[in-house]
Amino acid sequence: MKRTTLCAIFAALPFAATAQSESYTIDPIHSFPHFGIEHLGLTLIWGRFDRMSGKFTLDRAGKKAGVEVAIESASISTGDNEKGNRPRTRDEHLRSADFFNVAEFPRMTYRSTSVKFAGDNPAEIEGQLTLLGVTRPVALKLERFNCREHPFAKRPACGGSATGSFKRSDFGMKFGIPGIADEVRLMVNFEAIKDQ
Amino acid sequence: MKAGVLCAALSSIPLVAAAAPESYTFDPHHTFIHFGVDHNDFSTIWGRFDKSSGKFTIDRQAKTGAVEISVETASLSTGDGVRGDRPRSRDEHLRSVDFFNAAEFPRMVYKASAVKFSGEVPVEVSGQLTLLGVTRPVVLTVDRWRCAAHPVTKRGICGGNAVGSLLRSDFGMKWGIPATGDEVKIRVTFEALKD
Repeated sequence: MKRTTLCAIFAALPFAATAQSESYTIDPIHSFPHFGIEHLGLTLIWGRFDRMSGKFTLDRAGKKAGVEVAIESASISTGDNEKGNRPRTRDEHLRSADFFNVAEFPRMTYRSTSVKFAGDNPAEIEGQLTLLGVTRPVALKLERFNCREHPFAKRPACGGSATGSFKRSDFGMKFGIPGIADEVRLMVNFEAIKDQ
Repeated sequence: MKAGVLCAALSSIPLVAAAAPESYTFDPHHTFIHFGVDHNDFSTIWGRFDKSSGKFTIDRQAKTGAVEISVETASLSTGDGVRGDRPRSRDEHLRSVDFFNAAEFPRMVYKASAVKFSGEVPVEVSGQLTLLGVTRPVVLTVDRWRCAAHPVTKRGICGGNAVGSLLRSDFGMKWGIPATGDEVKIRVTFEALKD
């Protein structure tokens, strides 16, 4: 095969997909991004997004990996969703233009740009978060990563937990700072099953 | 000296601080009980109870305190509440007799009256949880505690975080062990307003 043809083939491969690369699909009912925000400096209010979808690729021999997820911003859930006699609940306020503006930005995405391994497992992810139409780098640290056969699907599966943080003002989300903190703590718990 | 002047002089002398119990009510929109359970050794699935109510009393001089919190079991929320084309969602399964049996046990209650202090700050609460009609001890470590005046209302407000764990099988909740873990991690994030 001519050298130029070989180069063309390699150039066409997507980032992190190598000969030994395996592809996994995120299990949406066992994968959730959780976020924590300080309220009045008294407590951390945790919330979560109920709908996340995506995939990751894993090549343990080549120590390469990549991840891409999409999160439905309207699926935000912080435990306050009954108005009572208030004009709106916290979840409704978070969906509004003051925060996530879900009508205009129904989806947030996270795409990795590089992944560092520790032994056989991915350990640190550099990636880009797109929120409110703004794209900024957010790093995630894998606190837990474990692969084994999924007991029901009978296929290889991997799961774990990743943490990180970012400043929401970097994305233009400034309402309520500092009583409602700028810093957002992340905890993403995930499970994914290997594609056929 | 006239009696009136003496009285006035005496009443202006400060007394030694007597027991000073204060009572607080948990703010239901800023108080949540979170629970985490290991799933197939892959990840921890976290859930939350959206509806709870309760109070605590604290006496920083006497170093005593008491807490009572009642949680609506049907208010659990783990992010999978819409069944789609499945027979049920996870939240529906958790409300069923396999887990919380919310129809028969609509409430879980935690009552504590043994509080350990470090100076004037509560650090550990020892109490009893009644879940599925079974009562067992549960200890919570208060790893964060701060009191301040609410910036808008100026009312006293205390907030923080408490953590603990329990084995659900101790309360008779055995479905799915060990693939769905027996150990339940608890995290209570709270804010309470002074009564």
